[in-house]
Amino acid sequence: MTLDFDVRATVGPFAYEAAFSARDEVVVLFGHSGAGKSVTLQFIAGLMKPATGRIVIGDRAVFDSDRGVDLPPQERQTGYVVQELALFPQMTAAQNIAFGLSRGPRRQQRVQQLMDGLGIGELGDRRPATLSGGQRQRVALARALARDSRLLLLDEPFSALDESLRTTLRRELLRLRTTLGLSIVFVTHDLREAHLLADRIAVFDDGRLLQFDSRETVFRRPVSRRVARLTGVGNVCEGVLRASSAGYVDVEVDGLPLRCAPMARQLAPGSVVDVAIRSERVVLRRGEQGGPNTFSATVAEEFAYGSTHTLHLQPAGPGPSLEAEIAARPYEVLDVAHRRHWTIELPPEDLHVMPRSE
Amino acid sequence: MMRQRTDRLALTTVLLLAAVFALFFLLPFAGLIQRALADGETWETARSGVVRDALWLSLWTSIVSLAIAVLFGTPVAYLLSRATFPGKSLVDAFVDLPIVLPPTVAGVALLTAFGRRGLLGQPLEEWAGLTLGFTTTAVIMAQVLVAAPFYVRAARAGFDEVDPQYERVAYTLGASRLRTFFQVIAPQAGPALAAGMVLCWARAMGELGATLIFAGNFRGETQTMPLAIVQAFEGALGLSGAVALSLVLLAVALVVLVLFRLVTSRLRVPL
Repeated sequence: MTLDFDVRATVGPFAYEAAFSARDEVVVLFGHSGAGKSVTLQFIAGLMKPATGRIVIGDRAVFDSDRGVDLPPQERQTGYVVQELALFPQMTAAQNIAFGLSRGPRRQQRVQQLMDGLGIGELGDRRPATLSGGQRQRVALARALARDSRLLLLDEPFSALDESLRTTLRRELLRLRTTLGLSIVFVTHDLREAHLLADRIAVFDDGRLLQFDSRETVFRRPVSRRVARLTGVGNVCEGVLRASSAGYVDVEVDGLPLRCAPMARQLAPGSVVDVAIRSERVVLRRGEQGGPNTFSATVAEEFAYGSTHTLHLQPAGPGPSLEAEIAARPYEVLDVAHRRHWTIELPPEDLHVMPRSE
Repeated sequence: MMRQRTDRLALTTVLLLAAVFALFFLLPFAGLIQRALADGETWETARSGVVRDALWLSLWTSIVSLAIAVLFGTPVAYLLSRATFPGKSLVDAFVDLPIVLPPTVAGVALLTAFGRRGLLGQPLEEWAGLTLGFTTTAVIMAQVLVAAPFYVRAARAGFDEVDPQYERVAYTLGASRLRTFFQVIAPQAGPALAAGMVLCWARAMGELGATLIFAGNFRGETQTMPLAIVQAFEGALGLSGAVALSLVLLAVALVVLVLFRLVTSRLRVPL
């Protein structure tokens, strides 16, 4: 099932604008709470009406301001699951799942088939209050899938669960997507969840879609300082563009010349730019500095997170202050705990130059 | 040591206050029962025709009033809980107004609107020959005006407790607004709706001031139990008559309350 979304609206205090699509894949809507992610799902489901735009599910326009089309949520056939799940408390699990199905001899059969598919085949007679968090989650998913929805809209469905359960359910979701041929629009503010689930990511901030692209591109080639910050890029340094060619861009950052990955857009030399460097891409080396993109620095501060260590590096000469992330094993092998002075290397392919956005 | 002593003192004070308060509520009932037992004619009075007429009128008018309050009040409560519209806070305030309004004022207000010289009452009488004031209809109107806000308030609070996500999910599952309300929202607000109904019914049963002014005090037609009690007290029967009638009303109220408890404890949904 495909989704094409292109909408403008005024939502509370901010102007909303976004355009993206889904082609039998998981699109993660990512951003802080209040960024416009949940509103997007409500536009798709028909629970809120945009000012202008067009929403097409499959080959059916469910909203089109030019042609005056606005189908009610009842006719859009989306599977909508919210964080609170909203399981009807006075009904059993089976009654919840059957709620959206028309009466008939095949109703019970369909309900049982859905429950078996999600591993809750034995729980049909139980009330939601007597089920565990993971079981409730599955009932909610089964209910959303019951009407043969091929487009699932999931609004932070796993945030109330503990980590191990979340991992299981995420895998199950990916399995369902493949076996049922679903498109899934998944809202989350969890970076790791976004990374795990997404085929493509839409980054939202203050009601605007800042970037919509493949997961790799969004994480490695953010379009702006804001997207870089939202997607967990540890270092965004201001610099001045010195020269650019098809293969590389030279940028001066705090007096240090750095060769960076090429930009999609050509900018004139002298332009102020931002350079995004992910913390885990910063390389620590022993020995004297030498070669391009190296400089010496001192560990000023460090934080241990168990599996990784975060170091704050202070340059000895010209060069930027950086945050570096290093895994526990190399941290021990290199004996970072006792050595304070390092040569820092920044591989050109990991330096992403962005035009300055005001 | 010091702290223990102050704690004990505080506890004693709390218990003492509670005991005094409880006594204040229990003594009047004790007095009522003691008077009734001491007086030989209580049973006789309680079975008289006046009481039978007043009780019957009270029962059926209060139930009709409750039905009207539920029929019109439920949509209003649901709208107040869910919708946003201009002037909402004004509507909100007007719904609450009769709760703080003295019933006698409500009676006078009803008279000026629906009485023979009233805003709507005069044209109604001139063109349709319809008189509302001092009829059984007036009894019901007075009860609805005074009691319905209690139901609307409770129902609104009940709907507020139900997360709007339930409606959203139900709509995406193809359920109409009507089906969503009756199958998803109302069952969850059920206990609050029931509590509102009891409040509303009890208020209607006890209605005196507005009824007296707008409907008058005619036996069999507008004389409900509270009015009959006042008349007995001021008339030939005196205090012992008032005691007998009060006991009847008290007994009916108790029976209804117990029945209500029984029914709602069965209805309650494990959340």
